[in-house]
Amino acid sequence: MMLTLIRRELLDNLMTFRFAVAVFIMLFLVVANTAVLIKDYERRLAGHKTEVQKSRKYMLDGKTYSVGELNIDRPPNPLSIFNAGLDKRLGNEIWVYYGHVPTLWDAEKHSSQNPFMNILSSIDIVFIFEGVLSLLALIFAYDTLAGEYERGTLRLVLTHPVSRGYILVAKYISAMVCLLVPLLMSLILAMFLLTTSASFSLSMPDFLRIGGIIFASIAYLSVFYLIGMLISAMTRRTSTALMLSMFVWGFLVLVYPNMIVAVIQPSNPPEERRASVHNHIKQIWEEFERERKQFLATDRHLEGDPYGNMRWRGGYNFEHFQDKASVLQHYYYAGAEIDGFHEEPESQALHVQNYHRFLVPLIIDTAERTWRIREPVLEELFILPATIDRAWLRLSPTGIYDVATQALAGTDLQGMQDFFTAVQQHRQSVIDYYYDKNAFGSRQWFSADKETVDWRTLPQFIFQRSDISLNVQRALPDLFLLLTLNIVLFIGVFLIFVRREV
Amino acid sequence: MWHIAKRELYDNLNSLRFALATVLILALMLTNAIVYLREHPARAQAYHNAAANATKTVEARSTSLYRLAAEGPGDLHKAPSPLRFCAEGDEAFLPTHAGGSNFFPGIANVRPIWRMIYPQETPHLFNIRPDFTTLDWAFIVGYVLSFIALLFTFDSISGELERGTLRLTLANPIPRHIVLVGKFLGAFISVNIPFAVAVLMNLLLISTSDAVQLNAEAWGRLGILSGIVILYACLFIALGLLISAAVRESGVSLVVLLLIWVSFVIFIPNTLASIGSRTSVPIAYMEFWSRRIQLGNEAREAYRDKYGDSQTPPPVHVLGEYVTSEAEAYERFNEAYLKQQIEQGKRARAIIRISPTAITQRLFESFAGTGFERHLQFIENVQRYAREYREFVIDTDRADPESLHVVGIQEGMSQKPVNPKAIPKFKDTLSLNRDFNTASTDLLLLVLFLMVIASGAYLAFVRLEI
Repeated sequence: MMLTLIRRELLDNLMTFRFAVAVFIMLFLVVANTAVLIKDYERRLAGHKTEVQKSRKYMLDGKTYSVGELNIDRPPNPLSIFNAGLDKRLGNEIWVYYGHVPTLWDAEKHSSQNPFMNILSSIDIVFIFEGVLSLLALIFAYDTLAGEYERGTLRLVLTHPVSRGYILVAKYISAMVCLLVPLLMSLILAMFLLTTSASFSLSMPDFLRIGGIIFASIAYLSVFYLIGMLISAMTRRTSTALMLSMFVWGFLVLVYPNMIVAVIQPSNPPEERRASVHNHIKQIWEEFERERKQFLATDRHLEGDPYGNMRWRGGYNFEHFQDKASVLQHYYYAGAEIDGFHEEPESQALHVQNYHRFLVPLIIDTAERTWRIREPVLEELFILPATIDRAWLRLSPTGIYDVATQALAGTDLQGMQDFFTAVQQHRQSVIDYYYDKNAFGSRQWFSADKETVDWRTLPQFIFQRSDISLNVQRALPDLFLLLTLNIVLFIGVFLIFVRREV
Repeated sequence: MWHIAKRELYDNLNSLRFALATVLILALMLTNAIVYLREHPARAQAYHNAAANATKTVEARSTSLYRLAAEGPGDLHKAPSPLRFCAEGDEAFLPTHAGGSNFFPGIANVRPIWRMIYPQETPHLFNIRPDFTTLDWAFIVGYVLSFIALLFTFDSISGELERGTLRLTLANPIPRHIVLVGKFLGAFISVNIPFAVAVLMNLLLISTSDAVQLNAEAWGRLGILSGIVILYACLFIALGLLISAAVRESGVSLVVLLLIWVSFVIFIPNTLASIGSRTSVPIAYMEFWSRRIQLGNEAREAYRDKYGDSQTPPPVHVLGEYVTSEAEAYERFNEAYLKQQIEQGKRARAIIRISPTAITQRLFESFAGTGFERHLQFIENVQRYAREYREFVIDTDRADPESLHVVGIQEGMSQKPVNPKAIPKFKDTLSLNRDFNTASTDLLLLVLFLMVIASGAYLAFVRLEI
C-alpha cells in the first residue's frame, strides 16, 4: 500500500512542469556559479602563491635578525566555494614579530586588490541552496494536502483502509526524492567542475566535509518541505497555502537573517572600556620604556642612544611604538641593519650587543604581559557580539544551515582562528629558535658587517586545516538543531493532518 | 476601465497577500529607519571630527608657505550621505578618504613635497559578524517589492481564465486592452499602497528625529527615488501580467515567474559582475608598487648623476625642478593606476545592467549619493581641490616680491606667514546634475525594459484565446 502511494505521488510530481523548472534552475545556477567561483578561487590561490614567494624573498633579503620580515600568508580554503564564510573577508597576511602576539585583528589583506572590486558581492553554492532549494521545497509542498483536499481526491484516498500517517510519509518521501534529484544533479556537476579544475586538490577529508554539507542541505530542504506541508495541512485552499508559503519564505530567507543582524545592536561595550584597556596596555609599554631608558642610562657607552655613538657607513635603524587603538594594538617596533662601521668600534658593538641581550627578552616579556590583557578583551569586544549574532540567526532555518555549513567547510570563525593560533605557535617557535641561536646577543641582530643571517634554518610555518572530526564536532549542534526541527515539524504536520476533517 | 481597476483593487485589498505584504514591508521600512537613526549620527559625527582635525592640521602648517607647499593639505574625507538609508552602496568597502603625503625618500638636504595618495586598504578587516545585506530601500524595493509584485499578478489573468471569470468579463463590450490596463492599475495600486504607507512611516520617523536633518535637495532626491520605485514596480507588474497571460495556468505561471525572479534579482546582480571584472584588469598591485618605487629611484639617480659629485649644492631652481617633477610623476602614476582600477569597476558594473534590479540598485545609489559613482565624484572633488590648493600656494608665493618663486624649496619661497583663513577648504559636494548625467542611461534602460515587457503583456493578452 505504502509503495503504491509513493509511486503515485512520485509520478504526480515527476511529470510536472515545476519539476522540470526545478531541475533546470538548480543546474543553471549551480553550474554557472561554480564556474565563476572556481575562477575566483584560482585567482586567490595564485595571489597566495606569489605572496608566499615574495615574503620568502623578503625574508632572505633581511641581513640581520632584527629586520627579518616574516610574513605569513593565509591560503584560501578550497571549500569556500561551498560557503565562503569569513574566508574572503578577513585579512590574509600576517606578520610574525617577536614583540607582538598576532591575531586575526592584526592581519592585513595582501597585495591589496582593487578596492572597487570589493563592492561586488559574490554568492556561493550554499547561498543558492539557501534561497532556491527552500523556494522549490515550498513550491512542491504548498498544494500537496490543500490541493488534494480542494480537488476532493483526499477523500477518495481516505476511503481506502490506509492510515493517515502512511499518506503523509508517502507524500514526504516522494517529494523529497523529487527534490533530491535537482540537488544531487547540480552538486554532482559542481563536483565534476571542481575535479576537472587543475588548481583544486581535494583530499579525502574534504570529500567527507562536502558530504557533510550535502547532508546539511538535505536536512535544510526537508525543513522547508515540512514547513510547506504544515501550511498546506492548515489551510483549505491552495491559493491561501501558496501565499502563506511565499511570505514565510520571504520572511525566513530574505528578511529575517538580514533584519536581525541589522537590528541587534552590535553590543559594543562602551567605548570607554576599549579606551581604558588600550591605556592599560600603553602603560605597560611605558613601564617597559622606562626600564629601557634606565638600562641605557646605566651604560655610559650607550648614553641614551645605542646607535648614536657608532659611526656607521650604511644601513638604517628604527625604533618606535606601533599603535592601532581600534583593535587594541600597541607594541614596540625596533630593528637595525647596519652595513658596516667606519672605524672598528669593537667595544661599542659589544655594548650594543649587550643592550639587545637585555632589550629583546624584555620586549617579548612585555608582549606576553599585554597579550594576557588583550586576549580576553578582544574576545569580549569582537567574538562575543559575533556569537550573539549567530545565536539570533539560528531562529531561522536558513541561519542554522548557514552556520552549520560554515563550520563544516572550515570557513567559520573557529576555522579562521585555527590559522591564527598556528601563527601564534609559529611565533613561539621562532622565538625559541632565536634563543637557541642566541640571536639577541649576537652581532647579526643589528649589524650585517661580518656575516649575515642564514634564514634557511628558521623553522618553517606549516598550517593544516583542522581535522574533519573537529569540523563535524563544531557543526554538530546546528545539525542536531536542523534534525530536531525536522522532527518537530513532522509531528506538527501529522497532528494537524490526523485531526483534520475531510 | 475604472470599474475593472476597482474590482481588482477590492479583490486584492481583501486578500491575505495584501495583509502579509503590508506587514512585511512595514516591518522592513521601520527597521530601516531605526537602524539608520542609530547609526547615522555617529557616522556624521565621525566625519565632522575628521574634517575638523584635517582643517586644524592644515592651519597648523600655515606657519610658513614652504610647509604648506611641502606637507600638503593632509587627509581629505568623504562626506557621508544623509540618504544612506535609501542605498547603502557598500560604502563600508570603499575608502573613506584620500590625502596628500610627503613621507618619501628624498635627496641630499632636500625633502620631497606632497603628492596625492589614494588608499588601497580594505577597511573593516576585523569584522567577524555574520554577512548580511543591509536593509536599505534598494534592498526592500529590489528584492521584496518585486517579489510582492509578482505575487500580486501571477494569477491575475491565468487565475481568471481557470475560474472562467475572464470569459464573463470579456463578454461585456469592453476592448481587451482596457481590461488589461484595468488589471494593471488595480495591481499597481494594491502593490503601492503597502509600500507608500511603509515609506511614509519610514520618512516620518526619520524626519521627526532631531538627529538627522534632511534639506530640500535631499527631499527632491527622495522624490526622484519614489519615481524610480514606481517604474520598477510597474515593470514587475507588467512581467507578472505577461507570464500570467502567456502561461494560462496559475501554478506554472508562478513557477516561471519565480525562476525569472531568482535569475534576474538574485543571480545576475551578484554573479555576473565578477565575470565582467575580468575584461579590464589593472596591473597587479605589487607590480605597480615596485614600478612606482623604481620611478622615484630613477629620478634620484638622474639627479645624483648630474649634481651628486659637486661640493656646492646646485642652484635653488634645480632643486625646485627636481622636487616638483618627482612629486608630479609619482602622482601621475598613482592616478593612472587609479584610473585603471576605476575602469575595471565600471566594466564590472556595466555588465550587470541586463538585470532591471541591478539598474535600480545603480539608480538608487546615484540619487542617494552613495556607492561607486559617488566615490568617483569624491575623487573628482579631491583632484579639483588638489589643483586649487597648489594654485593657492603658487599665487601666494607670487604675491610676495621678495620670493624667488621656487615652489617646494624652503629658501626659494616666500617667508611671510600665511593667513590660515585664506587656505582653500576642501568641500565634498554632490551635484544633482552630475547624478542625473550618470543615471540617465540607467533610467532610459529601465524605461526600455518596461516598454518591452508591457507591450509583451499587451500582445500576449490580446492574442489570448479563451
